[in-house]
Amino acid sequence: MIHLSAVTKSYNTGKSNEFTAVGDVSLSIARERVTVLKGPSGSGKTTLLSLIGCMSRPTSGRIRLSGVRPSWLPTGEGETELDVTSLPERFLTDIRRHAFGFIFQQFNLVRGVSVLENVMLPALPSGERRLEITARALALLERFGLAGKRESRVELLSGGEAQRVAIARALINDPLVLIADEPTAHLDSRLSRQFMELVESFRAEGKTVVIASHDPIVYAAGLVDDLVEMRDGRLAPAEAEPA
Amino acid sequence: MRRSDLFAIFLLVCTLLFVALLGYGELRQERDQAGREGNARLVRTLGLTDLALFTEARYTRHLSQADHHAPFQDHPLALEHFPSGSMVSPPLPWRRPL
Amino acid sequence: MNRSLERQRNILDFTLASLLRRKGKNLSLLAIYIFIVFIIASVTFFTTALKREALLLLSEAPEMVVQRLSAGRHDLISHDYAEGIAAIRGVTAVTPRLWGYYFDPTTGANYTLLVPPAGTAVPGVVTVGAGVARNLGLAADDLLPLRSYRGESLLYTVEAVLSSESELIATDLVLMAAGDFQQLFNMPPGFAVDLAVSVANPRELATVAGKIVERYPDTRPILKSEILRTYDAIFDWRGGMMIVLLMAAVFSFLVFAWDKAAGLSAEERREIGILKSIGWETGDVLLLKFWEGCAVSLSAFCLGVLFAFVHVFVFSAPIFAPALKGWAVIYPAFRLTPEVSPLQLAILFFLTVVPYTVATIVPSWRAATIDPDAAMRQ
Repeated sequence: MIHLSAVTKSYNTGKSNEFTAVGDVSLSIARERVTVLKGPSGSGKTTLLSLIGCMSRPTSGRIRLSGVRPSWLPTGEGETELDVTSLPERFLTDIRRHAFGFIFQQFNLVRGVSVLENVMLPALPSGERRLEITARALALLERFGLAGKRESRVELLSGGEAQRVAIARALINDPLVLIADEPTAHLDSRLSRQFMELVESFRAEGKTVVIASHDPIVYAAGLVDDLVEMRDGRLAPAEAEPA
Repeated sequence: MRRSDLFAIFLLVCTLLFVALLGYGELRQERDQAGREGNARLVRTLGLTDLALFTEARYTRHLSQADHHAPFQDHPLALEHFPSGSMVSPPLPWRRPL
Repeated sequence: MNRSLERQRNILDFTLASLLRRKGKNLSLLAIYIFIVFIIASVTFFTTALKREALLLLSEAPEMVVQRLSAGRHDLISHDYAEGIAAIRGVTAVTPRLWGYYFDPTTGANYTLLVPPAGTAVPGVVTVGAGVARNLGLAADDLLPLRSYRGESLLYTVEAVLSSESELIATDLVLMAAGDFQQLFNMPPGFAVDLAVSVANPRELATVAGKIVERYPDTRPILKSEILRTYDAIFDWRGGMMIVLLMAAVFSFLVFAWDKAAGLSAEERREIGILKSIGWETGDVLLLKFWEGCAVSLSAFCLGVLFAFVHVFVFSAPIFAPALKGWAVIYPAFRLTPEVSPLQLAILFFLTVVPYTVATIVPSWRAATIDPDAAMRQ
């Protein structure tokens, strides 16, 4: 579903402090599977995640998506493969909004605003009717046991609640792929295991899940289909697979 | 009620108030017409030349009848029309007790 | 429903929700903003209405007033001048005018004493303006004591008080008979204060004025057009002066607003990053900021202008009264007839709403173009 070939991402290119966060990574992420990127901090997991999630563009190499049909692409038959490497920002944002849901390490909730408002945020610019967005958001809050907190301000939530709000927000646009960056970093073991149960239910619903983590509860879990090990911005030799 | 709707209603109410005020202005103009005509008559029969707005001194009371530059003489402590006004202080008896 | 309209509404919803988070800060900002709009709009409304009032009334003023100067000062003018001027071709009438100022030491007020040119006034009887009546607590049939220039105390019966509608032009008037006027000021007969001159053809006014000066080099004719111009200038000038002084306030507000927006707080930057990372485009973020600026400045504009209208036209601008009053004891109680042009409103709109909105959007521009993955990397 997502194919990376020889992808490199460098920051501050051409300056003295240039560094390469991800170097020459070739990787395929399969549909409806749980893929975990494992590695110590600073190994380039987050950068790779942002490349997979169309948040940033690689310095070199190509990223192709299949099974994604953005609204601006004319409807055609069969599976199309989309090279997102050189798409303009507008189109990239459109793909990101509809195909990917993000769960951030810091949760990245907007403070001072209610839980419901936070969950609805990603859907607001689409021009969908607010009633429909609200209905979807309420259903998600219901599912994650947050219905009673819908009017609470997010900074008053516990860590576990905040993460479930972040998950609900990631799901509001019904994405194909869920991307989570160190999702258990701020959770205790019990909550971490609960999170993995949720991941299992997402896979059962047909979602593709990509997680970056160095937490054994995550990468050692039985439900992980593919484990990709990273070190110093490259795939660790054992897990490297040909593009 | 959505907040955006409330804001739209607020703007709408303001617009209506604007219209109402313009209407009120029209109404007042009509109502003040008689008074204005009476005043015009008074100006004509008495031969008045100035507004009775500033009665404090003769060059302010009859601005148009005063010496050439007198209309621009100002409150002694205000910014002056002539540069000299910033250097010459008002004569003592005219200063306001602080 | 139209998708793009729905997008606007959705984003506006969130804008308002996020503005309401910092209630105290945003409401005080709004209050200052409303006040500035209110003052600027009040000045504009007030001076325009007053100017119009002046032009309307003074269009009935004498077409030409001829003063005599003595040693560079305004002096009495002999009736001989009147006869001479009346003989100039094109002049239809010359009316000698008697008027002057009377300082009332007990109240500190200045009155304008005037003899009605028609000669209808009865000796010993006066008609007073509403301001004089208010100042001295006078009503019809009361007595008005004045002290003559020879030191005598003179008593006049108040026949009537001029209507309250005439305050703007006649609040300080005391109308009296010519004989009383001359006795009070110890003025020799056969002299006037100045001459009101009527001309058959208004286009000949300048020519006639030229002839008068040629024949009587010690005179100074004042044309009606000059009177009107004086008032035009005086209100433009005073209004402009107010605006100039206000500009300091406006600029400091702009600097403050700019600073607030330009120095986007870390929190605001973080929020923009979050929005970008969850799939908002740069345009969506700018739309959010646009509505943020609009919501504040449109509200301030509407409320400020509405308050100003009520302040000036319903309550007669109590805030400006002290400035206009100055040291005067008699100040006319007048109500201005509302006079608002769409052009005025448009200018006010562009002076207030546009700069603030721009000041809100522009600094966010750079923050809005950050890479969406920045939020992940922090």
